Amino acid sequence: MARSYLFIPGNVPRMLTNADVFEADALIIDWEDAIHANEKDEARELTTAYLESHRPEDTLVYVRINSEAGLIEKDIEALRESTIDGVCLPKASSSVLARYEELFSDKDPYPVIALVETPTAFFELDRIAAHEHVFALFLGGEDFRTAIRAQRTENDEEILLARSMVVLAARAQDVTAVDTPFTSLQEEGLAADCLRAKALGFDAKSAIHPDQVATINRTFSPSEKEIRNALRIVKRHEEEESMRFSLDGKMVDKPVIERAKSLLEKARLYGLLPREDKE
Amino acid sequence: MTFKTLAALFDELPLHDGMTVSFHHHLRDGDAVMNTILEAMEERDVKDIHLRASALFPVHTVAERLVAAGRIERITTNYMNGPLALLVSKGSLRGEVVMQTHGGRARSLIDNERPVDVAFLAAAAVDRDGNATGREGKNPFGSMGYAVEDALHAAVTVIVTDTVLDEPLTNPQIPAREVDHILLVDAIGDAQGIMSGTLEMTKDPLGKRIARDAVGLLDALGIFRDGVSFQSGAGGTSLAISAGFNRILAERGLTASFFSGGITRYQVEALEEGLVERLYDVQCFDDVAVASLARNDNHIAISASRYANPKDPERIIKDLDVVILGASQVDVDFNVNVTTDSYGRIIGGSGGHADTAEEAKLTVIVAPLFRGRTPLIVDRVRTITTPGKDVDCLVTERGIAVNPARKDLQDRLREQKVPFFTIEELQDICHRFTGRPAETKRHDRIGQVESRHGTEQDTLHKIKGE
Amino acid sequence: MKKEIITGSLESSDCLIRVAPADSLEIELETVVREGYYDHIKKLLEETVRAEEVDRVRIVCQDRGALDYTIKARLRVALRKFKEEGHG
Repeated sequence: MARSYLFIPGNVPRMLTNADVFEADALIIDWEDAIHANEKDEARELTTAYLESHRPEDTLVYVRINSEAGLIEKDIEALRESTIDGVCLPKASSSVLARYEELFSDKDPYPVIALVETPTAFFELDRIAAHEHVFALFLGGEDFRTAIRAQRTENDEEILLARSMVVLAARAQDVTAVDTPFTSLQEEGLAADCLRAKALGFDAKSAIHPDQVATINRTFSPSEKEIRNALRIVKRHEEEESMRFSLDGKMVDKPVIERAKSLLEKARLYGLLPREDKE
Repeated sequence: MTFKTLAALFDELPLHDGMTVSFHHHLRDGDAVMNTILEAMEERDVKDIHLRASALFPVHTVAERLVAAGRIERITTNYMNGPLALLVSKGSLRGEVVMQTHGGRARSLIDNERPVDVAFLAAAAVDRDGNATGREGKNPFGSMGYAVEDALHAAVTVIVTDTVLDEPLTNPQIPAREVDHILLVDAIGDAQGIMSGTLEMTKDPLGKRIARDAVGLLDALGIFRDGVSFQSGAGGTSLAISAGFNRILAERGLTASFFSGGITRYQVEALEEGLVERLYDVQCFDDVAVASLARNDNHIAISASRYANPKDPERIIKDLDVVILGASQVDVDFNVNVTTDSYGRIIGGSGGHADTAEEAKLTVIVAPLFRGRTPLIVDRVRTITTPGKDVDCLVTERGIAVNPARKDLQDRLREQKVPFFTIEELQDICHRFTGRPAETKRHDRIGQVESRHGTEQDTLHKIKGE
Repeated sequence: MKKEIITGSLESSDCLIRVAPADSLEIELETVVREGYYDHIKKLLEETVRAEEVDRVRIVCQDRGALDYTIKARLRVALRKFKEEGHG
């Protein structure tokens, strides 16, 4: 139930050491694009040594491994004893997922955030989302844009279809939908981009810089108004011991009550409940 | 008298071995005055010089050379960094180095402790009567706060300037009656270096996290109300806190009573937006502050004594609600070191640190829990700049600690459900990353840190030569 | 010229490790936290070499304030490459 997934390069000690202080719900330690081919060994060793001695307690930790044959095997081998919460698998496809699974003969594969960024992935999106170990779909907008030879437009119209497909597939298979990072380091634009993603149905967004985390967390947290409303629904439901009642002239039934409960669960997780409702 | 050459001026000055000369640091790392004067003293073969400068920077290369040559015997200052500070740390001075505070320096000048024989004070301009200002001229630097007590109390006061105004100055910071001589030079400094105090808000995400939590702490402690007074330094994290402070004032429609200390454009913007009634400016950190001081009546230049002298009944900081300060080390008794690094090398000094910490109702230290591998929190700071009794809270990127003496603050935070640690707990968190450093030996004494009241607060030791 | 293996960097909070064949175990350490941590880091380097079972090697560590996990990781990778190249 993370709101923010912060990328941290896997071979920079200063960034790894401080990775958990930027209030991201989840970290994605990068062994793929951020790491030059001849530094992959160092990144694997540095990351695993970091996790052995300083595994953050309250933050989910994922590693973006490499999908290419020759690298994925070494990556999985390096993670054999790891305490990570899962991996982020780039260029996700059925065949990449199959190869990934094969590398775990003696233990369960780590849960997978499938990074969908190739055109072909969108023609098997449902299969990827339905894969046993996939718990999240993550749109890789930059690579996708390049692959389809699109040009960046002001409101990212060129990736609108891809965004909506990711949300649809995630909903169809009940997995999490994570939006592509906002790639400009300018503050302005990020908030609007987050709101657009939330409106499209995304659950979370990735961040390529610590400065982006606060805005992402704020956007993907339940709002005060949503929390107040959910509290009223649940309170009424408990008072009336009923699954069907009217509130403010609107009919409330089971799906509405459950949505309210899950929203409150999320609010509790992020410490957003009004004071008297804590503990 | 007005002199156009150094030689003519020096013929008039009462030069003698062992004399004390003073300078201010408003030109910061762009100062040309001290180098010029010290070279002339060397030429006249003045020995055993006692250098009293409000601060010393890397630009002061002549001082460095004269320390190495043994011609400068003693240094009394409030702050120093760069190669000169390293040289002093290695024990190159024959006499002692004394690190004062801004308020303590003003007090000691007024009390005639370590009296000044000649004060050489850079001014941006003088008028034909000899009134001096920092505001106009070719190289304006704004407030002359750190020069006022020197002018008043030195045996001889020399104003060094590159601009003579035709119009009389109506509001000079140093009046002509305090001026004995004026020396005209081509340039008092280099504009770029003068603005070297200019700092940007931190871009470092760690600094931003600390700033966010510090502002949150102030809010939880109920600081944001009409009439609040506030001071923070010009470090990157402090500036981010200033910006956050202003944002909350604006959002809630509040007006602060004053901001004090060194002034940057962040405080000027707040003044112009009506978020604060007055700025008390002892030192302008950037050209925005310099321009504001010249045109805005509520931007008020103050002397170092009015700023922070513990014996000045009108000192501004006695009414200060909150001060935000940095640290190179903090110990488990909340003593703070900004004078030396962990191993005793001089890297700064109190400036107004100890002054404001003692007077402000709330003193908050902000610093990263470790830099590289060097821990912030130690069992005992290498050098006590500011005693722990004057420090209330510490904000790091991994948590807040509150001085146990401030039970009121602890209760308030509990009430507000703001988590905090004991300082020992924070130290443990730090050690999980850095490990515990080995005990280090202290070498020979080289001088002292003097409290603002004039007592010896801590000893400075020589570092091992490399 | 003996071939040298280099890992890490001289960035702040990192260390640069250079490893080359030698007649015996030689460790040279230069660190920005000499006074507080020299002995500790020296010991860490020695333990890591021992664990990798290499003994005829010269190690030069230029430390820029790296934490233990970083020093250990940098040295381990260097020593493994050293062994892969048939030394040790």
